[in-house]
Amino acid sequence: MQSALPPIAVALSNVSKWYGKFQVLTDINLTVKRGEKIVICGPSGSGKSTMIRCINRLEGHQRGKIVVGDTELTNDLKKVDEVRRDVGMVFQHFNLFPHLTILQNCTLAPIWVRKMSRRDAEEVAMDYLQRVKIPEQAHKYPGQLSGGQQQRVAIARSLCMNPKIMLFDEPTSALDPEMVKEVLDTMVSLASDGMTMLCVTHEMGFAREVADRVIFMDAGQIVETNAPEAFFSTPQHPRSKLFLSQIL
Amino acid sequence: MSLFDIMASILVGINVTMKVTLYGMLYAVPFAFVFGVAQHFTNGIPRLIVTSIIEFWRSSPVIILIYGFYFSLPGLGINLSAMTVGAMVLGLNIGGYGSQAVRAALQALDPGQVEAGYALGFRRLRILYLIELPQALAAMTPTFINQFIQLVKGTSLVSLVTLADMTFLAKALSQIHYAPAKIYTALLIVYFLMCYPATIVGRMIERRVSRGREVSHDL
Ligand SMILES: Nc1ncnc2c1ncn2[C@@H]1O[C@H](COP(=O)(O)OP(=O)(O)O)[C@@H](O)[C@H]1O
Ligand SMILES: [Mg+2]
Repeated sequence: MQSALPPIAVALSNVSKWYGKFQVLTDINLTVKRGEKIVICGPSGSGKSTMIRCINRLEGHQRGKIVVGDTELTNDLKKVDEVRRDVGMVFQHFNLFPHLTILQNCTLAPIWVRKMSRRDAEEVAMDYLQRVKIPEQAHKYPGQLSGGQQQRVAIARSLCMNPKIMLFDEPTSALDPEMVKEVLDTMVSLASDGMTMLCVTHEMGFAREVADRVIFMDAGQIVETNAPEAFFSTPQHPRSKLFLSQIL
Repeated sequence: MSLFDIMASILVGINVTMKVTLYGMLYAVPFAFVFGVAQHFTNGIPRLIVTSIIEFWRSSPVIILIYGFYFSLPGLGINLSAMTVGAMVLGLNIGGYGSQAVRAALQALDPGQVEAGYALGFRRLRILYLIELPQALAAMTPTFINQFIQLVKGTSLVSLVTLADMTFLAKALSQIHYAPAKIYTALLIVYFLMCYPATIVGRMIERRVSRGREVSHDL
């Protein structure tokens, strides 16, 4: 938008991946600019999770190139560490640590990975818990919180590591309907702060409000890339059309 | 001889029983953790090797191993004391069972826990001791306590390789005073008194663990 040469946050070029003989990703090309918000949708099993999990190396790819910031992902653990330092991830099932309090969930990585002092880490954590609007739950355990609250904690836990890019894998699809909004609101506010975001979600309201681009995946391929409004009202690809007719 | 007198004579051997138990634990606990974790971490051939070692200690009859190590190794020029053989064989046997509790507890955890650790920038070993083991520990403690009780009872086997533990003394007593019923009843009571507190602690922990699970499921 503003600068002529926006830096690239994530670049996937011709990325392919197999599970045994089964090809999950086929020639994925995707470039995400800093600050850009991408929404990824598509039928179940189309490879959405696999694609974003390749970006922080929870999965390895076999062909093509993935560059995050200026680090190319290879088997080199140092590179992987570098990338993970800059990339936060929020999971469908929150994956909070049940044996730790909310505050400890948020300070564990800053203390052990970032080598912050406990006091500094707690200060940062309380700031983010404030932002996701649950500072009063800091000393409870995850099991004592509602799903929506847990997911907001998971977002805060990620933000405590000060990531430059955030990955969301269906963050609201395990939630009761009445809790979806509080999580989406948190994500919208994060987006308005300029975070680079890749979100796998079928929340159309969120996509319309926040996304710069919607990517539609099917059978391991990116089938359509479009502006959100255009994607939902006049999808181009027959498979996008079929998919939208099924979820509407 | 009264039951009390007999128990008093048997209790002279309690230090040997306790020593074998204690040294046995020194073999059992590290073996259980190292091999349980190794089984959790490995695949393919390395895993096969780890599993074979565990199965050797877990599945061989303890009494045969004790005899084997105590009476056959000297033929190869290796002389181990009866105490060492007893503690090692009993400890590694119990450790073999323990390793399965460790592995099972680690594998029962949601794989999302490890993934969340990776996503936050942790390396594998840190994830193990900051995230997986603290959670798995609760699940394996009841099994560990049961195995501790098995170990205490198992120590009676060292009486077969000359160690004067409680069982050895009871046997000796029953050869002097012909009152096996009384003497072995006294022996049972002594073992029971040693093991029962562990059983109670085990039950308490089990109750706490299952209560903890309810809390975390009770969204
Ligand atoms: N670890 C795995 N081993 C084998 N197949 C897998 C594995 N993970 C995912 N798959 C398969 O890869 C395909 C894509 O999965 P995924 O990326 O989870 O899809 P989505 O997130 O779009 O639902 C699915 O067919 C799934 O069954
Ligand atoms: Mg998925």
